[in-house]
This record gives sequence, C-alpha cells and structure tokens, in this order.
Amino acid sequence: MGKLGKKARKFAKKNLQSVLKRKRKLKSMFKKKSSRGEQDAADDQLQDETNLLNGRNLEGEDIEGTSLDSIFSEDDSDVAGDDSDSDGFLSEDSSCMYVPQSENGNLLEDNGGGSALLVQNREIHLELAKKKKKLDRLKEKDPEFSKFLESYHKGLEELRNDENYSDEDEESDLNMQSMNEDSLNLKNAKLLTNSAIDSWCKIVGEQHNISALPSLLNGYRAACHYGTSSTSAVDAAASSYSIQNSETFCNILMFMLREADNIFRGLLGISCSSCRKETILDLKNTAKWKSLKPMVKSYLRSTLFLLNQVTDSEILAFSLTRLRASIIFFSAFPSLLRRLIKIAVHLWATGGGTVSSCAFLIIQDVALIFSSDCFDTCLIKTYKAFIAHSKFVKPGFYKHIQFLRNSFVELCSLDVEKSSKKALVSMQQLAKILQQGLRTRKKEAIEKICSWQYTNCIDLWVMFISANISDNSLQHLLFMIIQVINGVAYLFPGPRYLPLRLKTIQWLNHLSSSSGVFIPVASLVLDTLEYKIGKESGQPGKAFNISSAIKLPKHCLKSRKFQEECILSAIELLTVHFGQWSYHISFPELASIPLIRLRKFHETTIENLRHVVKRLIDQVEQNVEFVQKKRDEVAFSPNDQQSVESFLQLEKGGGGNAPFTQYYNSIMEKAASRSLLMNEKLPGSEKARKTGKVHDKGERLKVN
Amino acid sequence: MGMMGKERGMGKKKKRQKIILPPELPPEIPEDEVEVSDEDLQFFDENRDYAGFVSTLDTHSITRRRQAEKQKEESALQVDPVDALPVKTLDGELYYRTAPKKPKDSENAADKNEADGEDGNEGVDKSIVKLTKAERRAKLKKSKKEAKKQGKELDKTEDVQQTPQAAVLAEVKEDLTAEETFESKKRKLAELGMALLADPEANIKTLKEMLQISKDDDQAIVKLALLSLLAVFKDIIPGYRIRLPTEKELEMTVSKEVKKKRYYESTLLSTYKAYLQKLMALERQASFQHVVVRCICTLLDAVPHFNFRESLLAAVIKNISSSDDVVRKLCCATVKSLFTDDGKHGGEATVEAVQLIADHVKAHDCQLHPDSIEVFMYLTFDEDLGRPENPNEDNKVKNKKNKKRKNHGESGELQERDRKKNRQELVTKMREEVNADFRAASFAPDVKERRRMQSEALSAVFETYFRILKHSMRKISVRSEENGSSLPGASGNHPLLVPCLIGLGKFSHLIDLDFMGDLMNCLRKLACGSSNSDGSCNKLLTVSERLRCCIVAFKVMRNNLEALNVDLQEFFVQLYNLIIEYRPGRDQGEVLAEALKIMLCDDRQHDMQKAAAFIKRLATFSLCFGCAESMAALVTLKHLLQKNVKCRHLLENDAGGGSVLGSIVKYQPYASDPGQSGALASVLWELNLLSKHYHPAVSTMASNVSGMSAGHNQVYLAKVSPQQAFADLSLEHESFINPKNIVMKSNHKRKRGSGSSGAASINPTPDTATPIDEDGLKKKLSEHFTLLHDIKENERLRGELDRVTLSLQVYKEHKNQKKREHASKPKKNTEKTAS
Repeated sequence: MGKLGKKARKFAKKNLQSVLKRKRKLKSMFKKKSSRGEQDAADDQLQDETNLLNGRNLEGEDIEGTSLDSIFSEDDSDVAGDDSDSDGFLSEDSSCMYVPQSENGNLLEDNGGGSALLVQNREIHLELAKKKKKLDRLKEKDPEFSKFLESYHKGLEELRNDENYSDEDEESDLNMQSMNEDSLNLKNAKLLTNSAIDSWCKIVGEQHNISALPSLLNGYRAACHYGTSSTSAVDAAASSYSIQNSETFCNILMFMLREADNIFRGLLGISCSSCRKETILDLKNTAKWKSLKPMVKSYLRSTLFLLNQVTDSEILAFSLTRLRASIIFFSAFPSLLRRLIKIAVHLWATGGGTVSSCAFLIIQDVALIFSSDCFDTCLIKTYKAFIAHSKFVKPGFYKHIQFLRNSFVELCSLDVEKSSKKALVSMQQLAKILQQGLRTRKKEAIEKICSWQYTNCIDLWVMFISANISDNSLQHLLFMIIQVINGVAYLFPGPRYLPLRLKTIQWLNHLSSSSGVFIPVASLVLDTLEYKIGKESGQPGKAFNISSAIKLPKHCLKSRKFQEECILSAIELLTVHFGQWSYHISFPELASIPLIRLRKFHETTIENLRHVVKRLIDQVEQNVEFVQKKRDEVAFSPNDQQSVESFLQLEKGGGGNAPFTQYYNSIMEKAASRSLLMNEKLPGSEKARKTGKVHDKGERLKVN
Repeated sequence: MGMMGKERGMGKKKKRQKIILPPELPPEIPEDEVEVSDEDLQFFDENRDYAGFVSTLDTHSITRRRQAEKQKEESALQVDPVDALPVKTLDGELYYRTAPKKPKDSENAADKNEADGEDGNEGVDKSIVKLTKAERRAKLKKSKKEAKKQGKELDKTEDVQQTPQAAVLAEVKEDLTAEETFESKKRKLAELGMALLADPEANIKTLKEMLQISKDDDQAIVKLALLSLLAVFKDIIPGYRIRLPTEKELEMTVSKEVKKKRYYESTLLSTYKAYLQKLMALERQASFQHVVVRCICTLLDAVPHFNFRESLLAAVIKNISSSDDVVRKLCCATVKSLFTDDGKHGGEATVEAVQLIADHVKAHDCQLHPDSIEVFMYLTFDEDLGRPENPNEDNKVKNKKNKKRKNHGESGELQERDRKKNRQELVTKMREEVNADFRAASFAPDVKERRRMQSEALSAVFETYFRILKHSMRKISVRSEENGSSLPGASGNHPLLVPCLIGLGKFSHLIDLDFMGDLMNCLRKLACGSSNSDGSCNKLLTVSERLRCCIVAFKVMRNNLEALNVDLQEFFVQLYNLIIEYRPGRDQGEVLAEALKIMLCDDRQHDMQKAAAFIKRLATFSLCFGCAESMAALVTLKHLLQKNVKCRHLLENDAGGGSVLGSIVKYQPYASDPGQSGALASVLWELNLLSKHYHPAVSTMASNVSGMSAGHNQVYLAKVSPQQAFADLSLEHESFINPKNIVMKSNHKRKRGSGSSGAASINPTPDTATPIDEDGLKKKLSEHFTLLHDIKENERLRGELDRVTLSLQVYKEHKNQKKREHASKPKKNTEKTAS
C-alpha cells in the first residue's frame, strides 16, 4: 500500500476517496507540509520563521536582512532548468533487439487480487460492459444518433486538449517532455517481457557487451517512470516500453540497481573503491567516457526519479545505498548532483530509520567528495530541513529529531571553520530573539522562545560546540550560547516551565563538562526545588514525559508526580554538576551554599523522597570532607594555578574509587533507567515511529 | 460655500430686522473709534445693495457672529452644511434670547473683538490661543471704558426683538429630531464655550447655561459639557483667589465698574462651585469616573490657587490609590506636579496634599497602592530655609518649646510698656494686617510661613512613613502569633513598604534625631524579617525588602554624620545571611548590589573579622549565581581586600598565618554571625574555580583578585561600583550578540574535559552493511508495480465508463432535439422504459 506515482496520485485523489482517507491517517505526521515540494516548504517555513521574528521586532532591526536569508539562501533556481535537458531515452542498437513473443497473459489475473482497487476495478468493468451494451443497442437502432455522437466527440476532444495544455502549466515541463517523447517513440512502443530482460542481462552482465546496455537502460527508465504518465490520452506512449508484469519490473530494477555501478566502473576502468571526483574529471575527455556519458546520466536520472516515486523504506534504502556507491559519477553532472542533494536532504529529514541514515550517508559523502562546492549547500539545506522539522516534537518523534541533530553535528564537524560561521549567524539570531524577549516581555516574543524550534536550535548548537570544543575558534560561540541559555532560564522561572529549565541546565552541564569551563548552575537547579505550587493534592497524577514537553499543563503541577520529577531531576543535575568538580580544590566552597539550601529543603520535603535528598547531602558532605582533608595537606596558594590544576588529578585518574564518583555513577544509572521507564510508559511512541516512515507524497512532487 | 451660507444667513437676519426693527438708531460711536476690519469692508463693498441698511445696522454683533460661525466651523464638530442653516437661525435666536439683559456686554464684546483685531488677531485665533492674564486685564479695562460711553441705547431694541424670536424658536425646536437635538446641543456647547473664551466678562452668564446642559439625560452630552466647562474654567479663572464681598462691603456704595466686577466674580464663583459639586456627585458613578477624574485633575493642576482647592485635593487624594490604572496615574501625576511646581500655589497645596495622603494612609491601614506613597519622592525640602534662624526646624518639640519661651518673654515686656506704646502698636498692627493681605494676594509667603509649611509637610510625610513601618512590624508580630499558618507573604502584604523605605532613604537627613533610635529599632526588626528566633519559616518580608531596610539604616546613619552611637552590627549580620537567601529572578539584584555598595564598600569601619567573613561569603556566593551577581560580589570583594590589607592573608595558603587569626581557629561556613565564622582561617580557593568561569569578565576579575598580594599595599581603588558591575553584566543589558565585544584570552587553552567526545563517538549512522534482503525487496517491488498497474487500469476503465455514460447522455439530448423537431414517435415510449 501507499506506493503511488505522480499521475497515479492525481488520479487517486479524484477517484479513490476511501484509499485516500486511509492514506491520510498514516500521513498524519507530515500533513502539515504543503504539496509544493520539499524545498519550497522548507524555504517557506524558514521564511515564516524569519517573518515571525520580524514581526516581533520592535526596534526594526532587520533580522531577515542580516541573517538567515543573506547567508542561508543559496539559489535553488537552477533546478527548474534540469528538466528540460532530457536525454533519458537512449537510442538502441537494433541488432540486439529482442523480438518479444506474444506472452500477453491477462494482466489482471496475475494480480494477487483482493485489494480494494481490484474490487473496484471489477465493478467498474462490469458497469462499463453494461453501459456499452446499451449504447451499442441505441446505435443500432438509431443510425442518426451514431453520426451525431461522432461529431460531438470530436468537438469534445478538441476542447479537452485545449484544457490540457492551458490547465497544467505547472507540469507542462514534464508533460511536454513526455509528450514529445511519446510522439517520437510511439511507433517503437514495445512490450517489455521477462525473457527479454533476462537475455539483455546476460549479454551485459556475462559477456560484457555494451550493445544491450542502452536497451536495458531504456527499460530501466521505463520501469522507474512506470505509472507516472498513465493518463489515458498518453498511456500508450508513456515510454518506448510497456512493462509486461511485476516480475519483469522487479527484474530490471533489481539488476540495474545491483549491477549498474559495477558495469560502469568496469567499462571505465575505475576501481571499486575509488571515490575521488578527480577520477571522473580526468576521464572527461576520453572517448570511452564520451560514449558512456549518456548512459551513466540516464541511469542516474532514472534512479533519482525512482527515489521520488517510491515510498517504501526498503526500496528507498536500497536505491540510496546503490546510488551512494556510484556517487563519483555525479561530478560530471552538476545539475543532477544538486537534485541528488535535494532528494537526499528530504529523505534524511522525513524518512525514518534506515532511509534517513542512508540519505545522510549520501549527504556526508557529497559534502566530503565535493567539499569545495557542495559543503555549504549541504549544510544550509540540512539546517533548513532540521529547523523546519523541529517545530513540533511528539514523544516518538523525539528520537528522530535527536538523530537529525546528531547527524547534522557530524556533518558540521567535517569542516568546523565553515560551519562555525553558519553557527554564528544562527546563534546571533537566537540571541536577538532572546534579547527582545528580555526587553519587551511581550507575549509573542516569549512564545517564540518557549518553542520547540528555538530549543531544538539551541540544542543543535550546543551539541556542535561541545563536539568541536577543542577548536579554539569556537570560544566566542561557547560564550554566546551560554549566555543565551542563561537568558532562557532567567526568562522562564515558573514551575510550568520545569522541562525547559531542566533542558537549560542539561545544556549547561554538557557544555561545562565538554569545555572544562566553570558554569554555575547550582542556583538554577535549586530553584526547581523551591517552586511554590501550593498544596499538593496527593494524587499521583497522570504520567507525563518531561523530555517531550517544554511547558507543562497546569493540572500537572499539583500532582505528586510533578514533585517527584522536580526532586529527582534536581538531584541528577546537581550530581552532574558536583561530579564534574568533585576533585577540584574549591569543591567545599562550591557545595556550601547548595548544602545550606538542601538541608533546609530536606526538612520540608515529603516523606518518601526525603531519603534521596538526604543521601545526596551525605555524599556531598563526605566529598567536602575528603577534599578539605587533602587540601589541608598542600602548601600552595590559590594563585598557583599549575599546582591547583594538578590537585587530586591522581585520584581522579585512578578510576571511580572516590565515594562521590561511585554515587555519581549510581545516580546516572538510575536516571537512565528512569527515563527508559518513562518512555515505555508513554503510549504513542511506537505509533509515531511507524508514521515517521510514511512520507507526504505531495512534498516530493516538485523535487524532480 | 461657507461664505454663501453666511451671506444667506445674514440676508435673513437683515430681512427680519427690516420687519421688526423700529426706526434705526444711529450709533453714537464716533467714526474714528470704530475699527473696521478688512473683512467688513470687503463685505460692505460686495453688498452695496444693503449699504443703506448696513450703515444703520448693529455691525459689531454681525461681525461677532461671523467670527462665531467661523469658530464653530473650526471646532471639532462636524457640521453638515445642509443642516447648518436652520441651526444657525436657532443659534441666532438663542443668542438674542439670553443676551437682552446684558446688551452692553454683547456690544462690548464686539467692540473688543474689533479692538483686538488691530494686531491681526481675529476672534478665531483668540479662541485657540489662550490669552495671558495681562491681555485679559487689558481687555477688561477697555471694555469698561467703552461700556461707559455706549450706555443704554441698545436696551430698547433688544427688548422689542425678543418676543417674536422666542416664537420662532419654539417652532424650530419641534422640528428637531433626537439626533438633531444632540447635534444642536453639541454645537450649542461649542458656541457657548467659544463665546465665553472670547469674552468672559460679557458672557459670564452663559456659564450657567452650560452648567444646565451638563444636567442633561444624555451621558455623552454630560461628558461633553463637563469637558467644555473644564476648558472654559481653566481659561477664565483669574490668577487670584476670589473673595466675595462681605455684607458690610455690599452696603457701601461703589462704582459701576466694581459692581460689574463683583457680579462677574460672584457668578464665576457660584458656577464654579456648582460645577465642582456636579463633578463630585458624578465621580461616584463608574461611567463618569474617567471624565470626572480627568476634569478634577486638570483643574487642580491648572488652578491650584483658586477657591475650593480643598475639595479638589480631597477628590484627587481619594483616588490616588484607585485600582483603575488610568485614574491612579492621573491623580499621581497631578500630585507630582503640585509637589514639583510649588510656585503656583505658594506651597499651601503641597502641605494640604501631604496631610491628606497621610490621613488616607491612616484610614486605609496602609493597604494602598505603592504609587500613592511614591509621590512623596517628588517633594523638595529646602534645607537652608530654616537652618540659620532655627537650626532645629524639623524638631517640632524643640521648636514649640522655643516658641513658648519667646512668647512668654514678649508678653511680659508688653505688659510693662503697654500703655506707652499703645498708639505705636496700633500703627504696626495695621501695617501687619496690610502686609498679611498683600501676602495673601501676592502668593509670596515669607520665609517664616514657608518654614511652617515645610515642617508641617515633613511631619506629615514622616508620620506616614513611620505609620507604614509600624504597620509592617505589627503584621509580623501578628503573623508570628499565628505560627505562620498562612502562606508566607510576598510583597503584597506590605505594598507601601518599599516606597516608604526608598523615601526614608531619600529624606533621611531631615529626620528628627529624637526619632532616630525608634526608627533604627524598627528597621532592625524589619531587617530580621521576623520577631521570632527561628527565622526559617517566617519570611514575611522579601529579601529585597529586608535588604532595603539595611540600606535605609545605613543611609540614615551616614546622613546624620553618624552622630548617633547606634550599633549597626546587627545589620551586618542580616546582610551576611541575606546574601545566601538571595534568589536571582525572585529578588532584585540591583538592591543587593546597592546594599553591598553602601554597607561594605562605603563602610568606614575596619573590623577585620567581619571583613574576612564577608570576603569569604561573597566568594562563595559568586560560585552559585549568575555572572551579574558574581561580578557585583567580586567587585565588593576586591574593594574589601584593598581596604583591609590583613585580609589578603586569605589569598594565601599560609599555615603560619596564625598571628591574624581570631578566637575561632577553623572556618565555619554555616555560621550565621560574621564575627563567629572564623573566616580569617580560610583560604579563598573559590578564586580558582572562578577563574575558569565561562564569562571572561568574571574569570579575569577572579585571576586579578587572586593576584593581589599581601606584601605591598596597592592604593588604587576599583572604579566600578557593585551596582555598575551588576548592571553591566545583567542579561537585559549585556549585548552578547556581537562577538567582537568579547575579548577572549588568546593564550588560554582550555583543557578538553573528560566528557568531551569526538565527532566519531556521536556518529548516529546505523549499520551500513545490512545485507539486503533481495526477496523482500522483490516482493515490495512487485507490490509497487501491482498497485501502479491497478491504478492505471482503474483510470483507463473510468475514462471509458465516463465516455460511454456521456454518450448515453448525449443520446438523450439528441432525442429531445429530435422530439422537438418532429412530432412524437411511438418509439419514445420504449426508449423511456429502457432508460
């Protein structure tokens, strides 16, 4: 279910309401996107974002002018031009034409049957027969009428043709192209049979004879385009081949995907492992290349087309993997390369699981191999796609976002210098939004900050910075992101923003531990313990996942669950913070104010969580004593930085022997199991994962 | 168009006059006295036909009318030119209906207008441009002169005119619909107002009429009337207070001028009174509140010297803590302007206002909006005023004593020389009286008077402040009796405390020394935040409020040159503990910074134990909070270290530093008394961690401080105050967008933390080498194919079906056509059954 070509989709929309409905259910994940093509949609969303920001912008600072648009708008206009240089069809060597025998089996019969479509087809068939009968009878009875009818149809057809051309200006490119081909190849249209494919494969695969290759490629092309131009008017002329049955279809696709790369490499004499673009560029002037070029191009085009048509994740993953193998060939076709990036980014962002990762591998390879030209494009496209997809995060979708984030960071890490420029621009925008929020405290600005998009963007850069912190040029980015995070924490102090607060502290902890700088978070953490929620109702309350929300609904606040969450999260975060500095010489001072507050809190907290707090207090006190004892033994002063740095390094390196390290590890284990439990409890995560695989077909209409 | 209308209107009037008027009365004004405007001349030229008439006409009133019309057009009322005509006649009649008893005035008005026309000032302009007092006075003089000359002549003519016009009026009135009534009322208001503004002397009577309109049933009209009256009163109220003549004075024969003046003044005053009464009555109605308060505030602001100020003030103060933001802001602004602009009313209003506010606070048991006390901040007290003569000016008790003594002595003297100087006394008495009158009139109170007023105002202010303090104290004691069963209160419990404390800080130099002890006790208790010994659960005052208490106590002491020997130690203890109670976001960091500045940086005492304790605490503090707070603390810390050389031992881990140690040998981080903390025994290890701080400014500062050595005494002092440091780094102000602002330490190579992970470790890429399940793939592909095929087939079938269906339809059409062409055939029936 759910594998539809473009024309087929159009048709289904018109006639197959029930099927469509079912599909819509599955598509719920992506239904927000318009059908105007992926790039447009992504652009649109970014545009929306910037527009939104500008709307808030009271001082009239032109954010759009300074940031995203100027930096991140590479022109995508060239894509439209690609469609015109169509040379997908190859002239064939007639000598090895395989004359198809008449194996015209009943096509309907070899279908498994039982599908809704099939049933419907049969019904229509019956009705058609009935009506036809009637018409014939009428015609017989009234010869005058048949004449009248003929003239009438003629007039109608003329009219329809007119409509066809005027109506579909959007797709005229494609239509015209296929029309032209149709008229050219009308006479050549032949039925592609299984045996023909087999023989061609044999010729090409075993005898290394390229004479059959064009036919094979044409057949492949037909298979890839199958179902796309199937309106009745142009049906017969859709391609030079019409495909006999599903077996044929499978055969040709499988063979081509599996072998094409090897065949081309073998013909061109490129080793299988070589993946430098220079290899192709060097070949450019050789006669061999010249003869093979159209065939390579046809293969690549067809495969890209296939990627747009197919929605099944396995087929997609397979085609992507095969395409990745022959990625060097793209260096000869820049326009195809751009299209490849577009498709890959789209699949990366929308496809789930393996498709996403396969697509990302392509993006990564492209960025690596064509780094000089394509790195920025890849970066921008992926960033845009990420931003566009991080608007809404549902429980199950969270993992996918994390995957997107991680892979984006990985992409960025390929060229830190280039990507840090982009990061700077993006973060400046974040900072601007934040400052507006701080200054005006307007509701819109606040909402803008307290959104998934904003937090995901921070998250993205936090990961990027902490992954590449060894690079000195990132120091100012580090400072900026910390300030932004602090600002966010400062702006949302209330208990309803607990998830956001926890996130900010996690980020700060993460940055601190990766960069080694000191970021005070104790007060931020302890604030969560002192939320004034009023009287707790004592009810356990509904389960809610802290990680899948930013703002909690009001009713949550009074539940015991919320209090538990507050305390446990605070303890975890505080432990991380203390754990980082547990061997530092100033640990006793670092812990002293938190200890005062924790003790106070310990007296007032609810019974069943008191022991957890108590344990933390004890552990911290123990460590304070430990450090103090060690400290009393040393002779150096605070201004002796070097000695301070080496203080307790031996113990630290010695492994987790110190009591606090053990405590830290146990808390981390508990935290992990707790979050696991939380995720399992929540329904819907499984479902969301499934829907993640289903793509909005409309989006991909325009990609090609 | 406008001109046409005017001409028409004029023509009508002329016609009417033609009929009604008895033989013309040639004006007795000598030709040279009449100033003819250009416009008049032009008009005269254009209407030669009427020339004969015009010469006999009441030219002045006509000119006035033209101006009035113009005014009306320029006023914001939208007048439909079509509607204008009947209304105009109505207006004309109204004018004549009210005028007859004072025809002189109307005549004068016209004359005066023309007289003023000399300097190019048309009536229109005058109505917009406010006349200065001098101008108005000049006008009055002129009009009086002319009134004498032109006397009684016109009286008769107007009397004759009245009756027929009244009849016409009644007729017209019937025709007016409700809407027109509204319009006409509006216009009438405008007309009347304009007339009054143009010549208050002449049209003073119309005031009453306007007042009458304000009693209308229509709320909109009432509002308009109130506002128009406001504009009029604002403009015509004289710059002095009107004193109505006593009976004795009334009996005396006076000149006509005086009579007229008296009439004018009494009318003005009585209408004003009635207007105010109306306002006060309407103030209670919610729908009128905004308008009324606006009127009252504007009046009080504009004419605080005039009669009935008391009632205005009372109304303003009553609304000063209104829950309605608009009303409250208006009232506060008015009181502020009263306080800042003393010259308008000689300071009397200030005193009255302050006293009223004090009473208000008392009456409401300190539960008011903070704004109502905040206005005190705009008071200015002249310190030099009383000092040379009476140094204890604020000290009421002493003052009184002095006065008593003086009086006593004087009376003794008088008794002795009573008779001898009897006559002389009388003379001086007279002189004093005259002087008093003059003073009353001239608004220039002498020094003594001003001193009296100032001290009254001050005492009222402080009375209020102390009341608020006591109230906050009482609350605390009540609360602690309740054993804190209710929720710990936020600032909402003591809404007036913060402005009160700020005010005390500002006026601390004026506080009577006698009250000092009491005040300090109060502040001490408030700073503790609880009267109980266990301060843990009794946070009745917020940290900011308590910090403010400390600040005020220090300000008070400093401003009185620390003349009092009050022990401030306890405030230090409070601050020491408040530092760790501070929560960013909840409490105001600015206040903390101010407290650090005033209590630690500016403190002249040198208690080493205490200084060391604060140094240690501040360092610890800066490890927990944001960069702004950290910076403020570090600046203070540095300051303390610079001042207290011996405290620099804290910077060194010196086992032999025992010489400076106090009684406590080990540092007690959790002690609540700075003196008992034994901080001298500690080492400032915090600086090490702080030098790793993410904020470059903080880390630089920390390394700076740790670089200070005990050896040589650096004399330089930090230039930045804690407040400045706080403001610089607070998130609202700091610009962290532009990375150029941040100077990174280039040689500072950060160590990679253990948690840091290379790019490889976060590789999300899943298994790339999954063996591809070809069979599965084939199946999927064939499914894909089948689906596509089915769709294709479906489409084809549908197309065909559509075509056939269409053909069938076409056949029907065809048949119908045929049916129309030929007669019906028997075939038809069979067809029908088939279909």
